[in-house]
Amino acid sequence: MNTNDKETSRPSPRPGFVLDVDRNTPPIVFHHGENFRLEKLPPGRSRVVYPSEPLEGLPDPEGAIKEALLNPLGDSDPLPSLLKPGMKLTIAFDDISLPLPPMRKPDIRQRIIEAVLDMAAEAGVDDVHLIAALALHRRMTEDELRHAVGDRVYDSFAPKGLLYNLDAEDPEGMVVLGETPHGEEVHFCRRAAESDLLIYVNINLVSMDGGHKSTATGLAGYTGLRHHHNVHTLRNSKSIMDRENSALHASNWRMGDVIKDAGVKIFQIETTVNNNTFGREGPLALLQKREWEWSARDRGQFIAMQRGLDLLPVKAKRRIFGGWQSPYELTSVQAGEVEAVHKKTIENVYAQQLVTVEGQTDILTMGLPYICPYNVNSIMNPILVMCLGLGYFFNLYKGKPLVREGGVLIMSHPTPWEFHPVHHPSYIDFFEQVLSETTDPIEIEKKYEKQFAEDEWYIHLYRNSYAYHGVHPLYMWYWGSHAMQHLGRIIIVGGDQKAVRRLGFQSASTLQDALEIASDVVGPQPTITHLKNPPLVMADVI
Amino acid sequence: MKSIYSITNDFKNKFLRLGFPWVPASTPKGVDSRVKNNSLGASYDTEWARRPAARLARAVIVETLMRPVMSLLATPTRKGLDRLEHLEGPAIFAANHQSHADTPLLITSIPEPWRHELVIGAAADYFFNTKATSAISALAIGAVPIDRTKVSRQSGDMISELIGQGWSLLIYPEGGRSPDGWGQPFRGGAAYLAIRCGVPVVPIHISGTGKILRKGRNLPRRSKSTITFGYPMEPENDENARSFSTRIEKEVRSLADETASSWWDARQRSYRDSSPSLTGPEIGAWRRSWALSDNDGKTRKRRRRWPVL
Amino acid sequence: MKALRFKRNIPRYAAAKIAGNIMPGSGASFGPIDLIQEESSKTPGKDWVRVRPRLSGICGSDLATVDGKSARYFEPLVSFPFTPGHEVVGDLDDDSRVVLEPVLSCASRNISPPCSPCSEGKIGNCENVTLGEISSGIQTGSCHDTGGGWATEFYAHPSQLHSVPDGFSDEAAVMVEPTACGVHAALAAELPDEGVVAILGSGTLGQVTISALRHFTKPKTIISTARYPEQKKMAAQLGSDIVVNPEEIHRAVRRACGTKAITNVSEKAPDGRVDRLTGGADVVIDCVGSSKSISDALSITKPNGKVVLVGMPATVELELTPLWHRELQLIGAYTYGTERLPDGKTTSTFDLAFELVKTAKLEELVSACYSLDDYQEALKHAANAGARGAFKIVFDLRDERERYIK
Repeated sequence: MNTNDKETSRPSPRPGFVLDVDRNTPPIVFHHGENFRLEKLPPGRSRVVYPSEPLEGLPDPEGAIKEALLNPLGDSDPLPSLLKPGMKLTIAFDDISLPLPPMRKPDIRQRIIEAVLDMAAEAGVDDVHLIAALALHRRMTEDELRHAVGDRVYDSFAPKGLLYNLDAEDPEGMVVLGETPHGEEVHFCRRAAESDLLIYVNINLVSMDGGHKSTATGLAGYTGLRHHHNVHTLRNSKSIMDRENSALHASNWRMGDVIKDAGVKIFQIETTVNNNTFGREGPLALLQKREWEWSARDRGQFIAMQRGLDLLPVKAKRRIFGGWQSPYELTSVQAGEVEAVHKKTIENVYAQQLVTVEGQTDILTMGLPYICPYNVNSIMNPILVMCLGLGYFFNLYKGKPLVREGGVLIMSHPTPWEFHPVHHPSYIDFFEQVLSETTDPIEIEKKYEKQFAEDEWYIHLYRNSYAYHGVHPLYMWYWGSHAMQHLGRIIIVGGDQKAVRRLGFQSASTLQDALEIASDVVGPQPTITHLKNPPLVMADVI
Repeated sequence: MKSIYSITNDFKNKFLRLGFPWVPASTPKGVDSRVKNNSLGASYDTEWARRPAARLARAVIVETLMRPVMSLLATPTRKGLDRLEHLEGPAIFAANHQSHADTPLLITSIPEPWRHELVIGAAADYFFNTKATSAISALAIGAVPIDRTKVSRQSGDMISELIGQGWSLLIYPEGGRSPDGWGQPFRGGAAYLAIRCGVPVVPIHISGTGKILRKGRNLPRRSKSTITFGYPMEPENDENARSFSTRIEKEVRSLADETASSWWDARQRSYRDSSPSLTGPEIGAWRRSWALSDNDGKTRKRRRRWPVL
Repeated sequence: MKALRFKRNIPRYAAAKIAGNIMPGSGASFGPIDLIQEESSKTPGKDWVRVRPRLSGICGSDLATVDGKSARYFEPLVSFPFTPGHEVVGDLDDDSRVVLEPVLSCASRNISPPCSPCSEGKIGNCENVTLGEISSGIQTGSCHDTGGGWATEFYAHPSQLHSVPDGFSDEAAVMVEPTACGVHAALAAELPDEGVVAILGSGTLGQVTISALRHFTKPKTIISTARYPEQKKMAAQLGSDIVVNPEEIHRAVRRACGTKAITNVSEKAPDGRVDRLTGGADVVIDCVGSSKSISDALSITKPNGKVVLVGMPATVELELTPLWHRELQLIGAYTYGTERLPDGKTTSTFDLAFELVKTAKLEELVSACYSLDDYQEALKHAANAGARGAFKIVFDLRDERERYIK
């Protein structure tokens, strides 16, 4: 009762906005890996894109989920009427890369899967498989699966081998469903293809997630992915976060048609969460507050936190941040036919994240946090730093990029020359061999993709250990290829110099130095835009 | 030797220079900030300063500190106290305002029983901008915050509630200290509150304090001062705040005239509506100063201070 | 004449060893080596001719001697006191230029009939290095009677001399002897066509070996390790396909061979280490000779593959289980003699070296010249060549006054 009162008394969340920096603007907090930087931006020509405050979560998530399953969108029957005794049912769900950081228990996936299984049990469905749709990502450990689907589901299915990670390199387990008119093979999980109903459970953290991409990518292997996970497609995805202008999504949508034509019946469930990444209260709450609204306590806490983190060894810092689970709240859940569902999902994602920004800028700055989709419980290696900055944050735009063509991107991250040997074995090789030779995505694709994709050791580790697939680091590099082509220069502030140089970027010890270096490219007195992210903000550049 | 004042000031400046996050960030222009500093400014709650312990402390401060200091600095002459003989219950004291010395002077001049049941309307943005100044103002002079930049219901409600409880109010209708020695036009706040609460206004004129702690000066000088109380004024039937305020201003002007000349001359001029203006002539800045310096008998002596090498 | 003389002096050995451990090359300042001025020595035999060195190189084995790290093994094979220096281009008394092939084999010892390796032209394997007319010494530069290259003059047997073709600079000529070592190692490896070969170490010896492999064999991939940027650049220039840091060699070989690593994938304690491969390179040539480098070599060579030691190893500590389990061949490659080329022809190593120096422009490896007087500086530079961006350091004797005194 008490908490309810508190919620209703909370003022309504304010939208994100663009702050023009003047002399009185305080220094802005930049994420910087497992720490933070306070950066003073040049007055008069800088602006900061602030994210929206967290929207109110749905008061009754279970009720909303049930409601969505019973009242599907688009051309779809309610879930109970799709469930028949004796049918083959497969439930696929998003893997460890979503959401970021991992959310506090209960995970959305658990809530939805339990609701779905409840209906399946009522309908007398016996043959149920649950598959973590991880494509070429690393396998999830037992703990991670338990966190995602909950102990009840895990203990009911995993011991019988009915809850498992997708193995996209299992020749028996995968099937090619056909080709799109563009000649793209549609590679698909055999169990999912042969099921009477495939239910996909999404967490749509950003607008890139979901839609046909859930199944066409999540349940595919290298054979299928290479048709859209390539430099050409990604350079034509402007941006990958904007479904309508993304070649990546166009390809996935074509594949979606093939999947449909192959007779695979999909019941899509998509969910959105709010921006409550760091909590309304607690040690990180100040990260989603605006600097001038920090209380004395926030300020003291920040000073102590920053100093304390400086003193800690990096392993301890990783452990501390790795333990953070976001108190995300469900803001919407929609189910039914893929495209109708996804359309609504995008609206809900935009409602939380989209901020209108007028015009492009010469220099885009961003502070990169300690986590990206591929280093949950792991190490953020230099390639992932590149991917988070150039692949994800740069692409958080609609319309046109925040920074003009030929402009400069300045990112802040310690960028350690360090790799998780179990999770990212092929990354080490990619970094040691490929990047020491070239950083040109086209050349890398041409010369190395086949070697890395077909390396038997990587395949062995992907299938049996907890390694990302051999080709994954190349995909990371492709992810940044649009940004690399668009930008005139890329600078990393406060990074390991050698690692930054290996990435082909320039390193600067302070933001001031970085701005000096940038002036070689964009001239004196450039305009600067800082994307204050996360909590997530996506720029609608007009 | 460095004064304590300059040492604390140095310290303050050094701390301020550390900047955010050591000191709070100011809200950027054009941004609507949700976190109003609830506990400061016009919203500062002075309730604690009217509890018995605080009142006792204030009485001690007034009688043992302010009174001797003020009699030393200002050598006050108090006139017209007899005019308050028939005044009963709470009242609003409205005075002109030249100096920080005005308030301690009036606190020590306003007679019992009002003196110790008095709150003082103080600029919220000046006296209540930090926790420390807020606390000192509330404790030492019984200040309550008044928004001078805008009409705020918060201040009005709070004060009428206090008057309702039997507290009197001292207020400077000019809204702040005179910037140049001349007075400023009266604002309607005192009149509005008097009408709203149905209490009389006691006009007061203070002269001489402008030289003690004029706006822009931090070190006090000695100067003789005179405080002249006028007859309590009741709002007439259906009189609005604006015209009542004009009447109060006129009365204070007449009191000024009385201080400068004589009661009789002042009364005559008052009825002829020709009391000398407090706000000075509508002329250029230097001529206003010139006109004022006319009745300053002394030349200013200021020791030339060379830098200590 | 003026010469650097190495004496037998146990306390100074010890001092050199300590100093050399602290800072490589500094054994020169404390060790049993001195710059001396003395009467010209006598000829060791009637056929011998006087050579006045022009350039004389500093070799890794010389440095080991200077720093007291040389194996006790050599003690009976040398004769004290001696003048080091076996990479020599010099003038004969008729002013014709010659390159020294320093091995003191049966021919130079006037032993007849020659031992069986010498009769096959494998003079490096001569069985009579302690016998004959001259005192013990495996090469010029370790024999008391002949003198050595770090002097204004020494004596050479005509069988040891190769005349320098016109158009060959002194720098190119001084590179012929070390190049011959590389050629010998490259051919001793008997690399199969389309094989993968890894070279550990990118000093002068590593570089010439890379170059020799590129010219005289048909590898699919040459992988080499290098620590310093100049070494990496040169290795790539001389024909290495992949150049990596020494600690990255396991992964590089694994990638190039498409083999797997032996890694634990269990859920409880998965590890991602790559320090042992299931397969590996056909041939690994170790030009370093440390415990670490030989261990690395054994772990990245495929079963039945071959590890060639070119760098002088001295005393090392090794786990030999992989040698046994994977049935590896561990062979040495010392100096040169006569080579059998992959096409079956036989030819002298020095002829191949002359050819290689010319085509691969190996004179670029000569990084710095010092006079004999600056020998301490020279030896320090040579000992830290990699870090200082250098390869071969040589003594330049062309301007020494003593050279022109009869």
